[in-house]
Amino acid sequence: MNMKRLMIGAGVALALVQPVVAHHSFAAEFDANKTVTIEGAVTKLEWANPHIWIYLDVKDDHGVVQAWQCEGGPPNTLTRNGWSPNSLKLGDKITIDGALAKDGSKTCNARMVKLADGRTVFAGSSGGDNPPPPTLPKK
Amino acid sequence: MSRHAAARLIACLAMAAGIPALAAAQRAFQPPSGPTPRTAAGKVDFSGVWSKPYVPDMTKDGKDQKGMGVLPFTPWGETEWKAYDAAEGDYTGACLPFGLTRSVNTPEPMQIVQTEKYFAFLFEQNSWFVVVPIDGRPHRQGIPTWFGDSVGRWEGDTLVIDTVNFNGRTRLDTIGHPHSDQLHVVQRFSRPDLGHISYEMTVEDPKAYTKPIVNTRTFTLRPDWEMMEYSCEENNKSLWEGRIKPPKAPKS
Repeated sequence: MNMKRLMIGAGVALALVQPVVAHHSFAAEFDANKTVTIEGAVTKLEWANPHIWIYLDVKDDHGVVQAWQCEGGPPNTLTRNGWSPNSLKLGDKITIDGALAKDGSKTCNARMVKLADGRTVFAGSSGGDNPPPPTLPKK
Repeated sequence: MSRHAAARLIACLAMAAGIPALAAAQRAFQPPSGPTPRTAAGKVDFSGVWSKPYVPDMTKDGKDQKGMGVLPFTPWGETEWKAYDAAEGDYTGACLPFGLTRSVNTPEPMQIVQTEKYFAFLFEQNSWFVVVPIDGRPHRQGIPTWFGDSVGRWEGDTLVIDTVNFNGRTRLDTIGHPHSDQLHVVQRFSRPDLGHISYEMTVEDPKAYTKPIVNTRTFTLRPDWEMMEYSCEENNKSLWEGRIKPPKAPKS
């Protein structure tokens, strides 16, 4: 299954993980030097302030399903960026690039999300001076 | 064709071409153009919903903002700065009031509502607001507060908002630059055209800094945005689940 991918890197792609947490300090919760890419199926979306939370089941390299949770931007900012509560549906296979929580839990701060239809979109707040442009859908 | 009309046409063409709204919405925005608007009394009118640059570190330059550079710390200020660690509990993680400078710094928009007597900041961040008398009255002598006490005055076409009487429990910015209860903030607003505000923030705090420090920014009018509710407490999982620490009690 394509879901079977979990990569954790350290000290790379720092530029991709600019602090995007608006309501509190990014460094209070996440480690910008510990980047993560997770691929899995959406199990729940919490579309609520101060940040959305995406829950997904991820299979590790041993085929064991692990429950992850990743924080996105505030609903208001994401709405202005074209997101809606329907942007992610239960069961959607998505890939998240982000930064790991400092406490070692399966928690991340989502920077970019590759949606089920192939588009890759910015998932953080508009705090980034220049949110990376999304890719257009693959035809 | 105005830039605004052109942007609408491009958006329509993009939709017609089948480009999803999510992708189109993440492209650059061009504000409307036109002369500086004025009130019936002839004052510059700052009303509108404004996009402002996110300034998590007021020393650094960024898009639409010029930072303060190296800060002239006093010994007290430097000690406070070196001791600060957001991971040990920052007040904003508990959704306590950000304070004036940090509210202006947020990436969320703000609406300005202006009358002849008042200028109101409506911050989308946590749905906070600050109402500033601009009719010439002096500062109130009250209990120190998170946002301080603000009064405004006109210097020609520039509105100058002067704020004192802070409680000293906030930080200047997300990265945690310090200030004390001696903080004095002066904000200068001018509107060179319809689509922009030129903004200058001067921070004075003799306990924390040896001289005033200045940060300048450009705000962009967003007539296509409406303000939205932002309840910080609604789902503050990070605090509830212990990944961020609650703030420490204030020093007495």
